[in-house]
Amino acid sequence: MLGFLTARQAGLDDPLRLRRAEATRRVLCLKLNPDRDVDRIHGNGINTIDIEAVEGRYMLSGGADGVIVIYDLENFSGKLQYTCKAVCTVGRSSRYVHKFSVETVQWYPYDTGMFVSSSFDKTMKVWDTETLKPAEVFEFEDNVYNHHLSPIARKHGLIAVGTKNPKVQLCDLKSGSRIQVLQGHRAEVLSVRWSPRYEYILATASADSKVKVWDVRRASGSLFTLDQHNGDKSKASAEAVNTAHNGRVNGLCFTGDGLYLLTTGTDDRMRLWNSATGENTLVNYGKVCNESRKRLQFTVSRGCSPEFVFVPCGSSVAVYALHTGELVTMLRGHYNNVDCCEFHPDYQELYSGGKDCNILAWVPVLRAADVEEESNRENKGATGQSTVNPAFQDAWSSDED
Amino acid sequence: MTGDGAVSEGQAVGAGGGADHIRTAAAQRGQDEGNQEDLVSNDCIDHVYHSLLSQLNQEHAEIRLSAFQIASELFSRSHHFRTLLVDNFQEFLELTVETDSEQPLPPPKEVARKLRALAIQTVQSWQASYGTAYKKLALGYHFLKQVKKVDFQDAEARTVTERRREEERQRKMQRIYKERVEAATNDMEEAHQDIEATLTEMESCMKLLLPRFDHTDVQTTDSSPSNSQPADELTPDDEQPCCSKDLQDDKKEEKTQGGEERGKKKKDKGGTEEKRDNRENKKAKKKKEKSSEDEEEKKKREMDEGQSEGGEEEEEDDDDEESSEEEEEESRDLFIRNSGLISHSYNLDLDLSSGLHVRETEDNEAVVSTVIDLDKLITTKHLPAVQGWIQVFTKAGAEEQLLRRALDLKKSLEAALQKHKELHIDYKTRIRKSLKASSDAEDSDDDDGDFDEVPEKEGYEPHIPEHLRAEYGLDPSPSTSAAPIPKKTPSKRPAPPARPPSSSSSSFPSRRLKRLIEQEEEDPTCAAATLRLLRHKVHLPAEPAQSSSTSSGPSSSQSTSDQNAVDAPVVPFGLDLYYWGQEQPNAGKIIKSTSQHQFWVPINTEEEVENKELLAESKSRYITFPGTFIPVSHHCRAPLGNGQLCQRQDRLKCPFHGPIIPRDEEGRPSRQEDRRREEKEERRKLEAQPDLWDAEMMRDIELATGADLGSESLGKKKKGKKKKKYPNLSDLKQNANTARSRLEKKVFNKGSMRRVADAMSKSDRRKHEKFSNQFNYALN
Repeated sequence: MLGFLTARQAGLDDPLRLRRAEATRRVLCLKLNPDRDVDRIHGNGINTIDIEAVEGRYMLSGGADGVIVIYDLENFSGKLQYTCKAVCTVGRSSRYVHKFSVETVQWYPYDTGMFVSSSFDKTMKVWDTETLKPAEVFEFEDNVYNHHLSPIARKHGLIAVGTKNPKVQLCDLKSGSRIQVLQGHRAEVLSVRWSPRYEYILATASADSKVKVWDVRRASGSLFTLDQHNGDKSKASAEAVNTAHNGRVNGLCFTGDGLYLLTTGTDDRMRLWNSATGENTLVNYGKVCNESRKRLQFTVSRGCSPEFVFVPCGSSVAVYALHTGELVTMLRGHYNNVDCCEFHPDYQELYSGGKDCNILAWVPVLRAADVEEESNRENKGATGQSTVNPAFQDAWSSDED
Repeated sequence: MTGDGAVSEGQAVGAGGGADHIRTAAAQRGQDEGNQEDLVSNDCIDHVYHSLLSQLNQEHAEIRLSAFQIASELFSRSHHFRTLLVDNFQEFLELTVETDSEQPLPPPKEVARKLRALAIQTVQSWQASYGTAYKKLALGYHFLKQVKKVDFQDAEARTVTERRREEERQRKMQRIYKERVEAATNDMEEAHQDIEATLTEMESCMKLLLPRFDHTDVQTTDSSPSNSQPADELTPDDEQPCCSKDLQDDKKEEKTQGGEERGKKKKDKGGTEEKRDNRENKKAKKKKEKSSEDEEEKKKREMDEGQSEGGEEEEEDDDDEESSEEEEEESRDLFIRNSGLISHSYNLDLDLSSGLHVRETEDNEAVVSTVIDLDKLITTKHLPAVQGWIQVFTKAGAEEQLLRRALDLKKSLEAALQKHKELHIDYKTRIRKSLKASSDAEDSDDDDGDFDEVPEKEGYEPHIPEHLRAEYGLDPSPSTSAAPIPKKTPSKRPAPPARPPSSSSSSFPSRRLKRLIEQEEEDPTCAAATLRLLRHKVHLPAEPAQSSSTSSGPSSSQSTSDQNAVDAPVVPFGLDLYYWGQEQPNAGKIIKSTSQHQFWVPINTEEEVENKELLAESKSRYITFPGTFIPVSHHCRAPLGNGQLCQRQDRLKCPFHGPIIPRDEEGRPSRQEDRRREEKEERRKLEAQPDLWDAEMMRDIELATGADLGSESLGKKKKGKKKKKYPNLSDLKQNANTARSRLEKKVFNKGSMRRVADAMSKSDRRKHEKFSNQFNYALN
């Protein structure tokens, strides 16, 4: 650390370098922190969360009971102890609430005044944050698994929607209508994702084990289909050709720079693809438990020097190094399956929601005890320590008693 | 950890080795904790934690429970253990609270329930004391509370679905209980009268047997029991009669000859003692040495007591008379001697502690048999019924009144039984008496004879099973009482023309029976009425019929033709009888027609052929001679396990004890070679089937002595079982030993499955063979 600082002071290093080092360090210290709580509003499992990109202050969460909650993550109290309060809620009492489980929520990338939610009640609603009323409702014939707004799009306002129908639908926010259909999948589309690098590039994952990458300007079909064997016919059996996984593909995630694409499937595998060529990079992440029949929301860190992947794995969140595939740690805290996790790039915090109704905040725990402080405390003696927290004391009964 | 740590950390970060950093952080934390003067190092706790977790993973609720208890102890002690456990709290909850429905707690069920309840309680207490410090613990607590909906106040610690199921079950059970209670109440209403009647009957019978049932003061009124029992004799101890008599004599003596005591004593001293036995002698001597005042007092007291007892007076008077007669008859000396001996505080040992004895006599026989019947009725019918009701009421929690009533009933029934027991009715004497009575009561025999004379007829059963006899209005077999009776042949089969008098039934039942029969004969629906009709019809020709049926064999006596006619066998009519005494005209002749044609026959072609066999056949007659049935009169008498003798009556061979051989009183074979053979058999049986208990005992002995006695070979099968290894764990496989599982083992074992499959495929193939030429069958 000191080395980085001196190098920065001397102007030897790029400022980005220090930033990355610190971010990485913080990510590695992610822990369940008793100082940070998230209000327990949901009475049912939490399917999806999203943190807005403008300020990084508000977080959306959608539950299996149809409830949508907006949390304020910013801690202005100046104390360590902070509970993220629910700013507003679309509860069951609201007349606009989704009837069934909310599958995806997403902020409008440029403004917190709007967000989009889609649900198993076959609708996708565009909400006005101020009034908490839907400004627009898209209705579909089937359950909506996932939708996504392009985070960088400036020339279009398209929402890609994956439903039970194999056809991927594109809805235009400007006109409020479905303007295009992308055909090619043979089973329900579980996940759709816009590239954060090119605004017309869309990746879709389906239960037919295939992942397709589309250019939405092209009407004729997908750009390419990801193939786990990289076109090596000898390895693939006839039906496994052009498949990304050997099971349902239920998770999609671009890296922050959009150069790589991660997919997860029910074959308990995670794969990293080159998003430009569609080539399987063959990084081995080992077994990533994945039994979800719905979409799995996972995320990639941003701003770290080796990037990390946070992927729900059973009742814990696994942290992998993106390019080496090394399992860094398992974040264990949920008591039931974890469905979604979201990385906060500004504070290197991770929020995860699961079927146990909890949203857990994983906050970097920095080494509190500095050298000087520690020596001070030693001078004070054991009494000082016991004041910290009596619960951390051992209570051995000695033989003399 | 100083700047070095920071530098190394920075390097690590730079190199991208995040894990390193974590490790160093952990090491530091460990050091911090190590600095505290811990008695137990963290390594030990780590080790304990891991071994505990592995124990918690065992598929046995008892193991888990024990592990959990250890864990909860350690949890309250060590911070390090707490962190370790809380880190893995999900799994911990899964293993103890059953949070994962796909991982239910292992059997045994009760222990699992206990474990669950304990775990939930403990988690709550942990949450109270450590919840703020350990975030995950709090999360787990909330998870249990809100997602699993565990009610921490609920002692049963059940989830919602469990509770609902439980409620449903309870409701069902309540309904069932209600029905049962209603049924029991109805039953009780119905049976109450009956029981009351039985009780009153019993009570009155008791009163008849023993008018004053309660024990009177035994010390003072030695004669009172006999006095108070007009119908029965109390059977005191053997020597009691003489003692009491002596005493009474003594008393009388005191009364009549109060003043002569000195003289008597002197004479007593004078030495006629040699006629008395030694013991009494000594006693008397000892007593005599006492002061005379004492004696006088005692006598007075005795006299007073004697007079105070009103019931005694008579008897004593009798005694007085008797004794006065004696006085006149016997010599004065003897008398004095008697009285002298006893008068000095003769220690009276009246042993009535064994309770009352009622000896059955002819007079009270009816009452006693009624009592026996009632007793049996109570023990076999009423008491079990009442107990059943009580069980139902207590289980269902019925209203108190019902329960109390049932309990009262039970109490009174038991009291009645107890009373009956205390009576000590002597049944054996009853049998003896009854036999005696029946032997001299001729009329009863006649009654039975009447029955015997009735010949066999259709619709009339010669054999009436014991349990149906009462129903048929017949003498209930007198062997109902517990004591075995000398063999009796109550059978109504016509075989015994003259029955031995000793084998007839008792006089009372037959007398009563007669009355009963008379009553029943009035009733046309009764079997007895039919019987009477039959008797009337058949009475006159009965005698010859009887004799003819009895003497089925060729009678040896050829005295008179009458007798002959009587003895002649009745045979079915046949050709031989038709031509009796004549030549059969065309016996054995067959007309043989050469042409087989029915109508188109040539004339005079018939031809007679003589057949020797046919001829013989028409003249001969088959007479079957089965012989007479002789009932088996001997018992097997082989010793049984319970100390009794085998009562089977097989003709030649007992199915359990082999050929029937003569045996002595204790069931031992009376012949030497039999005994030897039996011993050999016994030994062989022992060797073939070594007792498991024996093997165990041997092993115990071996353990104690350290010597090898060869139990290894005896109980090899038992060894190596898990149960041996952990004797305190309940065996999980034990409850697999149900009727169903045993059947399954038989039905689904490989051999039988294969057999069945073979049979089925064979039948299938046969079908194919049958229709093999038809292609449409061949296809399927």
